[in-house]
Amino acid sequence: MLPATDPARCLKGTRADPMVSGKNSQFPVEPMLAPTPPSPRPFGAFNWLGLWTLYLKEVRRFVKVATQTLLAPVVTTLLFLAIFTLALGRAVETVGGVSFVQFLAPGLVMMAMVQNAFANTSSSLLISKVQGNIVDVLMPPLSPGELTLGIAGGGVSRGLAVGITVGLVMWMIIPMRMHAPFFVLFHAVAACLLLSLLGIIGGIWAEKFDHMAAMTNFVITPLAFLSGTFYSVERLPGIWHTIAHLNPFFYMIDGFRYGFIGHADGSLTAGLLVLTGINLAMWWVVYRMFAAGYKLKA
Amino acid sequence: MPAPRRFGAVNWLGLWTLYRREVLRVLKDYRDTVLGPAVSSLLFLAVFHLALGAGRGPDGSNLVGGVSFLQFLAPGLIILAISQRAFETVAASLIFDKHEGIIADILMAPLTPAERMAGYAASAATAGLFTGLVVVVLLLFFVDLPVRAPAAIVFFALAGALLHALLGILVGLWAEKWDHYSASLTFLVIPLVFLSGTFYSVQQLPELGQSLVILNPIFYIIDGFRFGFTGQAESSLAVGAILLLLVDLCLGAVVYRLFATGFRVKP
Repeated sequence: MLPATDPARCLKGTRADPMVSGKNSQFPVEPMLAPTPPSPRPFGAFNWLGLWTLYLKEVRRFVKVATQTLLAPVVTTLLFLAIFTLALGRAVETVGGVSFVQFLAPGLVMMAMVQNAFANTSSSLLISKVQGNIVDVLMPPLSPGELTLGIAGGGVSRGLAVGITVGLVMWMIIPMRMHAPFFVLFHAVAACLLLSLLGIIGGIWAEKFDHMAAMTNFVITPLAFLSGTFYSVERLPGIWHTIAHLNPFFYMIDGFRYGFIGHADGSLTAGLLVLTGINLAMWWVVYRMFAAGYKLKA
Repeated sequence: MPAPRRFGAVNWLGLWTLYRREVLRVLKDYRDTVLGPAVSSLLFLAVFHLALGAGRGPDGSNLVGGVSFLQFLAPGLIILAISQRAFETVAASLIFDKHEGIIADILMAPLTPAERMAGYAASAATAGLFTGLVVVVLLLFFVDLPVRAPAAIVFFALAGALLHALLGILVGLWAEKWDHYSASLTFLVIPLVFLSGTFYSVQQLPELGQSLVILNPIFYIIDGFRFGFTGQAESSLAVGAILLLLVDLCLGAVVYRLFATGFRVKP
């Protein structure tokens, strides 16, 4: 016995073909069944299955091209390590009480993480928009909060995966000790989340790949480069010192580096507060964008 | 019926059209193709300057081969911009045209393989050199760049741009997906440029690295180009020039064969 929701059966029941259902039909007519549409799938306050599916889609998207998303950052980061060590290794002996390489390594790991977290969410949304399959994300019963969580979760996962890969490779080359694991973990997650959310905003806002390239070239890369990855901001003269403290990337890298070398350029409390505050603000912006359907819904 | 258009041994109009199309295509996106790399160059300059310690002054500790570190670095950054632009321009253009199927417009036009090669290579080299020029102008605001040997600057910039343009054609013809393109960029072109002495004197390298770097053709481009500004070279300029000419010729021969046989563009 077929269940009542069997699609074949529903189709038969609703067919308005006189040859089948009319009086003059020469075929035995089945008793008419009331069309029973499938009942809506019930879920509670939170659509866990939908969220998990969206998250899985975002993660599988980057894992499928792991050469580009995991291996490429490792190569790029090692190149940066090599050129900076070779160019400056002799001239700059110690920074913040540790050798230049030990100072540089955590910053490079952080840079790789944030760039990949940003790239994941922004490219996912932009490509979906350009190709038109964004409807597959907008149509399922997912609330704005679930959309934010699922897509940002994918970006954070890529950021952390890159961070762990790059970190392990660096750890084989450079003597790195973890000094304060809490700060390493907090700053890694907070930075990836921040850049994932920024990537969502960028991905929703951008209409062409040019827009995204401009955002990466003129906003994200300068902020990341000038954040104190490669130098101690103590070095900066006057006004630039103040400006550096307004760059959220500075707090990410500073706190993350503190977790490894036990020395911070800025205030750690300020870093925790700034990162938490910006993340909350960004979350709210992204939530509003999804709720309003900004540039997503007609 | 219009008579077929006549042209001599070289289809100059066709060649010029292909060249112009490719150059305009890059320059139309000047924000991402020219200004983007220019900003990256300035960022590199700023970061190295700050990491070295701005306040050190001319006490000799920041000198590389007798010139200040920034003077040493600037020519490397210019070559980096030229190389990347020349490579990316033509590789991306070919892959895009292959994907969209509009490569037929190039194949159908009465252009010989040599004309196709010349059009693509020259346009990519032009885009690279133009980007390099913009970077030079920007760098001049921050670094004092004396010109010591203009001939060396021109020769090595041209040879380098051509080398990367030909390499870009090779990758553009070979690549079937964008993945192939970005893989060749990440795992081949950027490492070759970064590890060629763009940012450091090869004398800083361990012995193994020093013997390996002389096998990297990009090293000769940067070394000769830098000689034009600083007056100091780490290798023999003549060897570098001859080697680059040979590499350009070999790459040119391969690209010519690929265009002649229609590798991956003709059924």
